[in-house]
Amino acid sequence: MLINCPYCGPRDLSEFSYQGDGNRTRPDPASTDQAEWNAYVYDRTNIAGDHNEIWQHAGGCRAHLRLTRNTLTHKITSVSFARDERHKKPHGHRRSGAHS
Amino acid sequence: MVDQLSPLEPVWRPGSHGNFAAGVGVILSETQPGSIVQATAWPGEEKALMGAIRTVAGIVLPDGAGGGVFTEEKAAFGFAPGKFLVVDQAEGLFATLSAAITSETGTVTDLSHGRTAIRFAGPKAEWVLAKFFAIDFSLAAFPVGAGRSTVHHDIFAQIQRTGASQFDLYVFRSFARAFWNALCHASEEVGYEVR
Amino acid sequence: MSPRRSQTGGRVDRTRTIRFTFDGRPFTGHAGDTLASALLANGVTLFGRSFKYHRPRGVLTAGVDEPNALVTVLHGEVREPNIPATMLEIYDGLTVVSQNRFPTLAFDFGAANQLGGKLLGAGFYYKTFMGPVFGPLKGTRFWMFCEYFIRRAAGLGRAGIARDPARYERMNAFCDVLVVGSGPAGLVAAKATADNGARVILAELEPKFGGSANWSDETIDGMAAAEWASTMVRDLKARDNVRLLPRTTVWGYYDDNNMAALERVTDHKSAPGKGEPRHRHWSIWAGSVVLATGAFERPLVFPGNDRPGVMLASAAERYANEFGILPGQKVALFVNNDAAYRAASTLRKAGAEITAIVDARDEISAAAQEIAEGAGGELLRGHAVVATEGGKHVSGIKVQKFDLANGALSGEARHLDADCLLVSGGWSPVIHLASQAGLKPEWNETLQAFLPPKPTQNWVGAGAFNGRFTTAEALAEGVAAGLSAAGSIGRAEYAPEVEAPVLDPHPAPVFEIRAKGKAFVDLQHDVTADDVRLAYKEGFVSVEHLKRYTTLGMATDQGKTSNVPGIAIMADAQGRPISDVGTTRFRPPFAPVSLGALAAERYGEVKPERLTPMHDWHVENGATMYAAGLWHRPAIYGLAGETVEQAYVREAKTTREAAGIVDVSTLGKIAVQGPDAADFLDRVYTNMFSTLAVGKARYGLMLREDGIALDDGTTWRLGNDDFLMTTTTANAGKVMQHLEYLLDVVWPELKVQLTSVTDQWAGAAIAGPKAREILASCVTGTAVDNDTLPFMGIVHGEIAGAPVMICRLSFSGEMAFEVYSGAGHGVHVWEALIEAGKPYGMVCYGLEALGTMRIEKGHVTGAEIDGRTTARDLGLDWMLSKKKPFVGSMMMDREGLADVDRVRLVGVIALDNRPLNGGAHIVEDNEAAPRNSIGHITAVCYSPMLGKYIGLALVKGGKKRHGARAFVSDPLRNRFGPVEIVSNHFFDPEGKRMHG
Repeated sequence: MLINCPYCGPRDLSEFSYQGDGNRTRPDPASTDQAEWNAYVYDRTNIAGDHNEIWQHAGGCRAHLRLTRNTLTHKITSVSFARDERHKKPHGHRRSGAHS
Repeated sequence: MVDQLSPLEPVWRPGSHGNFAAGVGVILSETQPGSIVQATAWPGEEKALMGAIRTVAGIVLPDGAGGGVFTEEKAAFGFAPGKFLVVDQAEGLFATLSAAITSETGTVTDLSHGRTAIRFAGPKAEWVLAKFFAIDFSLAAFPVGAGRSTVHHDIFAQIQRTGASQFDLYVFRSFARAFWNALCHASEEVGYEVR
Repeated sequence: MSPRRSQTGGRVDRTRTIRFTFDGRPFTGHAGDTLASALLANGVTLFGRSFKYHRPRGVLTAGVDEPNALVTVLHGEVREPNIPATMLEIYDGLTVVSQNRFPTLAFDFGAANQLGGKLLGAGFYYKTFMGPVFGPLKGTRFWMFCEYFIRRAAGLGRAGIARDPARYERMNAFCDVLVVGSGPAGLVAAKATADNGARVILAELEPKFGGSANWSDETIDGMAAAEWASTMVRDLKARDNVRLLPRTTVWGYYDDNNMAALERVTDHKSAPGKGEPRHRHWSIWAGSVVLATGAFERPLVFPGNDRPGVMLASAAERYANEFGILPGQKVALFVNNDAAYRAASTLRKAGAEITAIVDARDEISAAAQEIAEGAGGELLRGHAVVATEGGKHVSGIKVQKFDLANGALSGEARHLDADCLLVSGGWSPVIHLASQAGLKPEWNETLQAFLPPKPTQNWVGAGAFNGRFTTAEALAEGVAAGLSAAGSIGRAEYAPEVEAPVLDPHPAPVFEIRAKGKAFVDLQHDVTADDVRLAYKEGFVSVEHLKRYTTLGMATDQGKTSNVPGIAIMADAQGRPISDVGTTRFRPPFAPVSLGALAAERYGEVKPERLTPMHDWHVENGATMYAAGLWHRPAIYGLAGETVEQAYVREAKTTREAAGIVDVSTLGKIAVQGPDAADFLDRVYTNMFSTLAVGKARYGLMLREDGIALDDGTTWRLGNDDFLMTTTTANAGKVMQHLEYLLDVVWPELKVQLTSVTDQWAGAAIAGPKAREILASCVTGTAVDNDTLPFMGIVHGEIAGAPVMICRLSFSGEMAFEVYSGAGHGVHVWEALIEAGKPYGMVCYGLEALGTMRIEKGHVTGAEIDGRTTARDLGLDWMLSKKKPFVGSMMMDREGLADVDRVRLVGVIALDNRPLNGGAHIVEDNEAAPRNSIGHITAVCYSPMLGKYIGLALVKGGKKRHGARAFVSDPLRNRFGPVEIVSNHFFDPEGKRMHG
């Protein structure tokens, strides 16, 4: 699999490390909402299809990248620097009642 | 001033080795620059940082990811967003760059002892390096002066192409001997010279 | 009669003789021979014994599809089994033995297995050895009894245990177009792409480029096909945008057109060149791929079809035209298509007598008829071979009338003389790679073959791969495929002319002749047509299940000759068309791959060594080195005759009494720089760093987001915006990644730069009551007294002319200083410190003494920060700031983590005065079995200060048990005994010594 790093260009999968579900937003540091923290730390969306993921180009420029990757075909349809985008998409919760 | 001790000293075997009967395919050397400095710009401050490098080191960095410039005395290249490795055969670059780059522009980090610079040159340089790194070493994909960050298993490497068939590799000092041994081993088939 | 080499013909070099041995017998062959052709030339037709029944087996094919003629190659003590003789180029000194025979190939006891043929049918193992035990002869217990004998009797070659001294390598390659296969289609595809300026790699699994052109006897561009191929190869070789890879099998098709290939670099040489790898694993990233992998001829399934002397028609053509070998003197053919008739004329021309052509069809084309007449011999249309005669070699065949419509046999079985039977059941495109990068292969009724699926990756096919079996079609498709792969819409400039007999390659739908006797589908795994039907009767309907139950297609050849006949027989049993049954998905590898090639440069050298600047000094001065992750660190500097314990006790004791020095260069060091660095550290550490003065250091603790402890270390403020963070040696990478994630993904607005500077600094920690005096005697440019350098203070100075940075901090509990110098000055500074320490009796100490002193002080490291413990568990509550949120601050106080009965850090003292072991359980009752464990020991030592064996432990309730007695229970090492649970601060709990 190749990931097209916006800085380094297309590189082999072996240079990257998966850094998890990109649909998570860290609660405000001052937040004392346990459910919100719990969701951030433990809840992950598990999508069969296009998935929003964070990868680090650990064996290259070390930037974190935000990918849209199809978990069924491995096709990557978008790559950008994670720091350039502040995705504020609602978090995918599994438990009902969890704060989004 | 005390000279730096090379981590390669005990494995340094000048001369030709391997299958060199028909000439050597690669030449390995250690360039031992006096200064290896990392300069990093905050987002949006890249131009200012490149300007400071130009003022201090007198070398002009081209725009674009991985862009770089090389002279026998000095070299610089981008290896990550906003990050540059600046190299000088003379000592003292960290101090002069630190003075020129303010905290509004970015940061300067001295790596003069932390990285070992290995020069890998010759008609078979691309061939042997391709055994280690999954990047395209062809001149079209990796032009002279350009820099690349890549990895061979645990060994990170920043590589600048410093000639049509010459590459300067910057690796962590603690890995330098293991990497050097691996480079020599992989070069045996094409014949190599250490100088 | 046996096969022989003809006086002329073929493309082997008769002037060069090559000597090799087979089962100890010396043979000769010529340059250009494979083991198969060389043995055939010597009249050898018996190559091995079969997998289950130990039946004699010969050579069926001339290439990578060979299921039968597998041999073991010996390189000294190293043995490599299951190499197809058809793929093994001979060289001087080649030593080969046959497989699966006892005691000899010609006389084999195991052949008695044939008599019990029914017993070893499909599912034999499942039925006999699995499930519940009823009586003595059923179930897994029975298997355990029988296994030895079965393993000895069944199977293929035997792997060796000697270490393989060969070198293996990996190669990364990038190209615009990878052409797989160098038959006529592949050659012109490569030329067309290269003409367009593309970077091309042409991979051919055989030693010679050209594929069928090397033996087809056709004319291309007015030249003999083989000569045309040589011309093409010369042309390609001369270009610098083309890389030719002979002996290279492309075996895997991975995401984004990443292709895996195995190059057999030196397997054909007596000895590899200096530094030459035996195999090279190629990882090729190709913009697009041209699959010109050709087609495999299929055998027909009939009783006795496995007897040596039965050979594919195309293989016989190849042996005759390429190797100058007649596979027999009296040759019969059994075919279901016109194209196979060409073999009759080829062999006739080469000097064989054609005794009969048996064709399953009633109707054949005029062209075929003409060839048959020219070749001589009997033409038996509407007939089938129902048996082969002979012992270890075909001496004749039996034929009967055959009805194509219903497969019925009729009439008397007739004997015909033949010492060689050529068979052809049609052709199967080699769609293996396409199957890995495509949808489902499609069954084509006209071709009676599975055609390539629709691509899911960027490839285009050409030639026989596409079911275009004639050379003219292959050339046209090859050019088109090359242009398309190169992204060109230009017209092909090159359109070679072909002269070849016009013979229809489309076969009649005949796969099996059902007569009495074992008719083999999968020759390598000894799967018969009856096994396939049995599997169906027992309810195995899916083709994937059929494969696993019968093991059809699961041998080293992966069913290259057996896949389609097996599916056809299954379809027939089910009464369904083949298109409904479908095929199994071909998975990588296409052909066997050496594990050495996959391990490549990692074979033998698993990890690169990571060395500190003072490494060589340690080794030269008697250190016993210890591998800690990738790092190599001194464990002890033992004196002659000392045990490990004696050495570290001496080192620790001397350090506490006088002084000691230890290499701490391996500590992870991260430069944290930028205007927001202090703010960032406040967020990631549990304690405050923004309040830290410049020129001071502070001990810090980091948690994970889930509130569990991550790492600890000191961080030094070198400037207002400039911190030097240290981490534990083991966690340096993990901490770096954790911090980078936070900066990049969570707080991109912070202006903070992280750089790994672990390797920039050499670190020497000098500890003990004399440490300050020693430093004072060698440091210039700064004082090191208590006012200038208080606890946790930092000063800059020089030692022996090298700049140093000194921080007064202590891990041992003694008055101690960490001296950092540039890594390149490390040895220089270290030696100066050693020299300065001599008058004070300073020792060097290693990891063992370091561990001893930290255990005496009750400091935690990786054994306690084990990914399960919290700050409170470790007694580090005092580090949890209440003034600010930090990573993990909300999660660390969850109910479960705050539970007072969690395991918490304590000290333990062995009351029986015997050594303790890390990992041992702590139990409340003195029992042998570790029941009711209340915790475990994390670190142990003999404490010279206490004169006792002590340890750190994580024990339920922690502090509540101080003073309590418990027991250590370590059944693995048979260590039981009483311990006292105490505070982890064994020694100098007030810290008087380090504050001095």
